[in-house]
Amino acid sequence: MSQTIAEKILAAKAGLDRVTPGQIVDAYPDLVMSHTATWRSVSVMKKIGAKHLYDPNRLAIVLDHISPAKTEKYASDQQTSRNFAREYGIEKFYDVDAGIAHLVLMENGHVKPGDLIVGTDSHCTIYGALGALGSGIGYTEVASVWVTGKLWMKVPTTIKLILNGRFAPGVSAKDLMLHLIGTLGADGCGYKSVEFDGSALPEMSISERMTMANLAMEMGSKCVFIPPDEKTREWLLPRLKDPASYRPVVADQNAVYEQSIEIDLSKLTPMIACPHQVENTKPIAEVMGTRIDQAFLGSCANGKYEDLVVAANILAGRKIDPRVRLIVTPGSKQIMLEAMRSGVLATLIESGALVTNPGCGACAGDGGTMADGEVSLSTANRNFVGRMGSNKSSIYLSSPATLAASALKGVIADPREFF
Amino acid sequence: MNMVEKILARKSGQQSVTPGDVVLADIDLMLMHDLSANFVMKVFENEMEGASIADPSKLVFAFDHNFAPATRDAAEALAAVRRFAKKHKVKNLFDSGCGSIHHVVMEAGLVTPGMIVIGCDSHSPIYGAIGAFGTGVGNNSMAALGFTQNKGWFKVPETIKIHFHGTPMATVQPRDISQFLVGKLGEDGAIYKALEYAGPYIESLDVNDRALFPLQAIDVGGKCGFVNPDEKTLRHVRQLFGARASAPEFELLPNDPDCRYADIIDIDVSRIEPQVACPPTVGNVKPIDAVVGTPINVAEAGGSTGGRLSDIRALARCLANRRIHPDVRLQVVPASRDIYLAALKEGLFETLHLAGANIFPPSAGSNQAFNMGALAEDEVMISTQARNFPGRNGHPKARHFLASALTVAASALAGKITDPRTLEVQ
Amino acid sequence: MQDKISGRIYKFGDNVNSDIIIAGRYLIYIDPVKLAEHAFEMLGEGFPAKLRSFDILVAGRNFGCGSAREQASTAIQGLGIKAVVAASFARTFYRNAINDGLPIFECPALYDAVTEGDQISIDLAGGLISHAGKSYDFPRIPESVAKILQLGGLANYLKSTLETGSAPR
Repeated sequence: MSQTIAEKILAAKAGLDRVTPGQIVDAYPDLVMSHTATWRSVSVMKKIGAKHLYDPNRLAIVLDHISPAKTEKYASDQQTSRNFAREYGIEKFYDVDAGIAHLVLMENGHVKPGDLIVGTDSHCTIYGALGALGSGIGYTEVASVWVTGKLWMKVPTTIKLILNGRFAPGVSAKDLMLHLIGTLGADGCGYKSVEFDGSALPEMSISERMTMANLAMEMGSKCVFIPPDEKTREWLLPRLKDPASYRPVVADQNAVYEQSIEIDLSKLTPMIACPHQVENTKPIAEVMGTRIDQAFLGSCANGKYEDLVVAANILAGRKIDPRVRLIVTPGSKQIMLEAMRSGVLATLIESGALVTNPGCGACAGDGGTMADGEVSLSTANRNFVGRMGSNKSSIYLSSPATLAASALKGVIADPREFF
Repeated sequence: MNMVEKILARKSGQQSVTPGDVVLADIDLMLMHDLSANFVMKVFENEMEGASIADPSKLVFAFDHNFAPATRDAAEALAAVRRFAKKHKVKNLFDSGCGSIHHVVMEAGLVTPGMIVIGCDSHSPIYGAIGAFGTGVGNNSMAALGFTQNKGWFKVPETIKIHFHGTPMATVQPRDISQFLVGKLGEDGAIYKALEYAGPYIESLDVNDRALFPLQAIDVGGKCGFVNPDEKTLRHVRQLFGARASAPEFELLPNDPDCRYADIIDIDVSRIEPQVACPPTVGNVKPIDAVVGTPINVAEAGGSTGGRLSDIRALARCLANRRIHPDVRLQVVPASRDIYLAALKEGLFETLHLAGANIFPPSAGSNQAFNMGALAEDEVMISTQARNFPGRNGHPKARHFLASALTVAASALAGKITDPRTLEVQ
Repeated sequence: MQDKISGRIYKFGDNVNSDIIIAGRYLIYIDPVKLAEHAFEMLGEGFPAKLRSFDILVAGRNFGCGSAREQASTAIQGLGIKAVVAASFARTFYRNAINDGLPIFECPALYDAVTEGDQISIDLAGGLISHAGKSYDFPRIPESVAKILQLGGLANYLKSTLETGSAPR
């Protein structure tokens, strides 16, 4: 049939046999998610006088970005979201203590291969780590999907990224993505689907795949796929309510791709995204020694358990530089629990870190705000000016390993000496 | 003389003092948290040109209200204090995530018996639990006299002694007894006075629990509060210096046997039920029956009057193998890094996590909602925090009840204010 | 929606991102007037005030990249901006602009031709933008999607379909 993954999913959700790039279809998402923005979609529903949801089971609400409320307005907006969930019997409702929406929804088995998922967050692309088509939309459109069950989507062309070789010690998925974003540009995959492929893929953990699918958004991707395989099945099956619902969707052998790009992972070095664009990437050698005031380990890009472990391994038995404030925000409650049990949390704190409650944290400006002239190194996915406070502050992005090494030294540092 | 009079006499170079005397005394330690440090700094820099800090080692800055500043203004305020500290060589700067100021200061072993500690924080009387004189002062005094001369003027207070005796009922905690006293005396019940917490009940408490009493001295208008230092005080203080190579010298200054009091109040703790301080003020203390059944949205164990290891243990005991009510958000805020680590290692956080709680960094928690703890108009919180005034936690009409850790735990389970005596604790 | 949109242009470069257009701390608002008070604030001195004397934004590539925040297009409308012409749009901004009723046009050729303060005129029916005597064409938005824009945004569109009963329930 020669369809790519995106084509297959969109065809299926639009009730069609096949689709072609450029075609506009009315697709019915399996899941429509919203986070702190939920109250806005609720207000749209009120404004248009709609009372019924197409299917309450398709809604997921996770109160993440600002958790918990620090002003009355946030408290009131969160209450609106809670009341809405209660009124409509939304089962997939997670409150301010759950963690980052994307991680929470995946951990709890609400995302599976072949699903179409839209939501009020651009990093919905992350669901591609489990072979689902995830794409961000605005709050008005979320309300529209709530009510009508569907939205128009233009079938994208697909770019194939073929990964071969393996990472050198100290180099990781985040570095790969920063390298790609720097090479292809912020709109390098604009409106397109991205499919990863190659001999390196089967070795990549689900956590690494999440990082990849998350960061791909910063190349403008409409959606991203790491085709589901044994690892996906192993990770997801125990979390699914109905194991029979696991039906992987992979591209046809003769699917047509707009472009194929090969990357040799072994040639990559640790990378840094410099202020104030994600595509402003440089190899670590060019940025080492830059003084930092704050280091943030967290976000849907790198706040997963595996990321905390990488940092903990470097920080174990050591103390961070006294000039650095290291903030660690576990991506979810489950991740925090795992870190508590394994001793990772204790290691991080003993090194001098401040561990916050799970959530989006400093990435989205919830705490960790900077004053004029301050510099943060962050494992998040955006470094736009003013995102973490003053418009005279700077954000550099890196991998968790680079972050840990830098927190130790007080300056941006190469993690490879710790491997 | 009693302990307070002895300290004031010593520090002002006099043989003895009596209530009513005004003395100019040496200050040993000056405390400011992240909010007050900023204000005091501005007074010092804007209104006292040319002045210098006599002894920077006597200053302490502890960032507790902000564990991770949520706004640019907050970040600027902290950055400004850091710059000030660097410029004036203030070494005792405890940055965000250290805990709640007084817990941090005590754990750091910065206070010894016999000291005079002033703080731009109304809960500074806490040091009366370890044989020191602690009181709150304003930004101007701190900057003008404290910074430049390590001195402060004090009017020697009269002392009211409260004699606690009897055995409390099951689940009634020191917090309940202390709040009962606040309710009984009223918010103006001890204005400018020193309060001595005494009697077999107080003597039976460990120092951490004794500390709750002077902490609430401000709620009755008190200048300071204290417990006559004894063996327990000595052991506790020695423990604070435990790991150190050399401990500072200090001397316990217990009351003289013939010291006089403006008033002596007797309290039989065996008749006190769990107490709740109800909105809109700390003095509005009622026995729990009056408010049982009030639905709650948020429960918190944290703040300078909560978040201690004993509070977290109490919470964990109540919530082990249980789940909190689905409509409740339970926030646990350890009062210091050491407490955080201890709670982690004891498995308390795991227990609480599984029960549905959310664990926060060491800090002042929801105190004035800098990083957390803002409520919507019709929301209700019950916590171990120190204050419940309207507007401190979001909407002015939101309601905040103050109670013991056990009451907080019981309420989190039930989804409404609940008498801990009705709870089965393992 | 009108047939023609004309006015003075303000020119932005490439990759004008969502956080520059409206910072995360202002997403507590959905009102265009409130949002406009903080639009482009991160650029510093003079913003957003200086934008109020312009009618149309002309930008380079990937305008609106970053977050899916709908308030980016709402904030621009709140400034009184009538349309945005860009060499290309980030897909989330493109979508949100349509849903918000903000007319947007993709026209890379125009970007190189204009300077700040120039007058341009957009002919929606004809599919052309006029500037200094020259015309530049732009691709049409697909009919099914253009309907949303014509009705002033998705909320209006949805409301009308609910009223006419052509939506499920």
